[in-house]
Amino acid sequence: MKNGSIISIKNVTKRFPVGEGEFTALKNINLEFQSGEFAGLVGPSGSGKTTLLNIIGSLDSPTEGEALVLGKSISKLSHKESALLRNKHIGFIFQVYNLLPVYTVYENVEFALLLQNIPKVQRQKMVMEALDWVGLASMADKKPDKLSGGEGQRVAIARAIVKKPVIVIADEPSANLDAENTYAILKTMRELNKNIGTTFLFSTHDEKVMGHLDRIIHLRDGAVEEDEIINVKTLTK
Amino acid sequence: MKLAFQLAYKNLVGAGLRTWLNVGVLAFSFIIIIFYNGLIDGWNEQAKHDSIAWEYGNGQLLHADYDPFDPFTILDGHGVLENELSKNLAPILLRQASIYPEGRMFSVALKGIDVNQTTLKLPTASLKNSNAKIPAMMGINMADAANLKKGDEVLLRWRDQGGTFDAAKITVVDIFETNVPTVDMGQVWIPIRKMWKMTGLENHTTFYVANENFQPSNISGWKYQSQETLLSDLNEIIAMKKISGSIMYLLLLAIALLAIFDTQVLSVFRRQKEIGTYISLGMTRAQVVGLFTVEGSMYSIFAMILGSIVGIPLFAYLAKIGIGMPAASRDMGVPLAERIFPVFGIQLIVGTILLVVIASTIVSFLPARKIAKMNPVLALKGKLQ
Repeated sequence: MKNGSIISIKNVTKRFPVGEGEFTALKNINLEFQSGEFAGLVGPSGSGKTTLLNIIGSLDSPTEGEALVLGKSISKLSHKESALLRNKHIGFIFQVYNLLPVYTVYENVEFALLLQNIPKVQRQKMVMEALDWVGLASMADKKPDKLSGGEGQRVAIARAIVKKPVIVIADEPSANLDAENTYAILKTMRELNKNIGTTFLFSTHDEKVMGHLDRIIHLRDGAVEEDEIINVKTLTK
Repeated sequence: MKLAFQLAYKNLVGAGLRTWLNVGVLAFSFIIIIFYNGLIDGWNEQAKHDSIAWEYGNGQLLHADYDPFDPFTILDGHGVLENELSKNLAPILLRQASIYPEGRMFSVALKGIDVNQTTLKLPTASLKNSNAKIPAMMGINMADAANLKKGDEVLLRWRDQGGTFDAAKITVVDIFETNVPTVDMGQVWIPIRKMWKMTGLENHTTFYVANENFQPSNISGWKYQSQETLLSDLNEIIAMKKISGSIMYLLLLAIALLAIFDTQVLSVFRRQKEIGTYISLGMTRAQVVGLFTVEGSMYSIFAMILGSIVGIPLFAYLAKIGIGMPAASRDMGVPLAERIFPVFGIQLIVGTILLVVIASTIVSFLPARKIAKMNPVLALKGKLQ
């Protein structure tokens, strides 16, 4: 792992059994991500974006090669160790938000902190701070079914960043959002990236999202086609 | 664990009607199990109490040749016990006899009893206070069967010491009510002193009923049966009744547990995205299995609370007023009161709670185990695994 690198993907191949045969989702991928990056994996469906993010998020492991996240080899982690890694250092944002329906906005955001046994007073402070970041402090008592799509995704962002993780993995975060909401959540994520230094990794084929990324990695048929550094300094609507 | 309870509570309350249907069925099972066992325990207590009060006393001293289960031993199964040894014992002499109410022959066990005895609840004072030539008393069921009432005279035929038949009219001076059929049906009670004279068996006794001051010892020609021994048959009948009853409530419990099992299986399928979310947020698979298992157990805790709200006033009311038993039930030959007062002991309640909580935890754990083998990526996509 290079100096400053928090994610190192070395010769990673991922195959899935399909019927009698196998499907290769990732072919010999090599990538490095530095702390504080705002990067995206771009490509058509089936190009391996989500598979790679799942491996980085320790939800899956490579068939071949090595994925090092924060110095830990994903293949070698036990269930408990990978759960601890996700709990402490990785936040997830999903395409369909995956909010827990019976909990309020506050409770959804609080969930990750409950797992870390953080005292109630501190938890309360952290949750309200996260909700402030995404502009939903006034909706803390609402249930997810009372929120709009944009609000739901902002709650998911708050849940992902409340524990101040090193990495946030966002899998097609704008797929269910209109242009205005997409802009709003990207702006929020960009600010968080700058303010708390969290690394954001996206998977997307939304051009609106691509326009805001510092780095775009183009994937096709499970291989890296192009690794493009853009370095966007400011966000514009 | 505390977190699992907090989350399980929220999940169950959030699930709404599905939760309350399961809780309702389980609470019903709780109430039925406790009610049925309470009824049996109440009957048990009442039957034991009445059998001791009316028939067994603190034990019985039987003549060595007398076997209560062999009617052929009645003729010779009697003897004389020294006065010194018969302290604290109420003598009873038993002979076979017949009565002829309205010209019908009615075989009876004729029992002579000491009119001054206080060991048994039999109202022997009625025999003592009567001026009739041969005063007799019998239980209400016997009187009904023979169509006799207080003050009636009826012809009694018996065999004397030498086996010769003799007959005389007896007067029914008392008809008593008892829950113990073995001192009622087919029994006629007369003073033992009269019976000694009628049979020529002066001072003879078939068996004695001991009071609480009696100290059992080996007496030649006699055998002692303790209260526990005498109650063993009754205990066996009640245990059998409890087992047969338990089939009914275990079926009911099985239905309730099946509802929980069904809900859990459905939950594991329907809530795959949620399971995937828990795992992505940093819960271990074991924690998620624990959460789902606690959810299942919590049904029983909610059911316990609901069961208590409904059950406590209901049980308190039933324990106070008792439960009326149909007359036909008294023909079973087991002491059975007109009203049984259920006994809802701590042991019964705690035992039932443990049974239901443990059973619901097990049926919740079984489908939840599947989560441990789940692929979180597929779970997040909500794909069946």
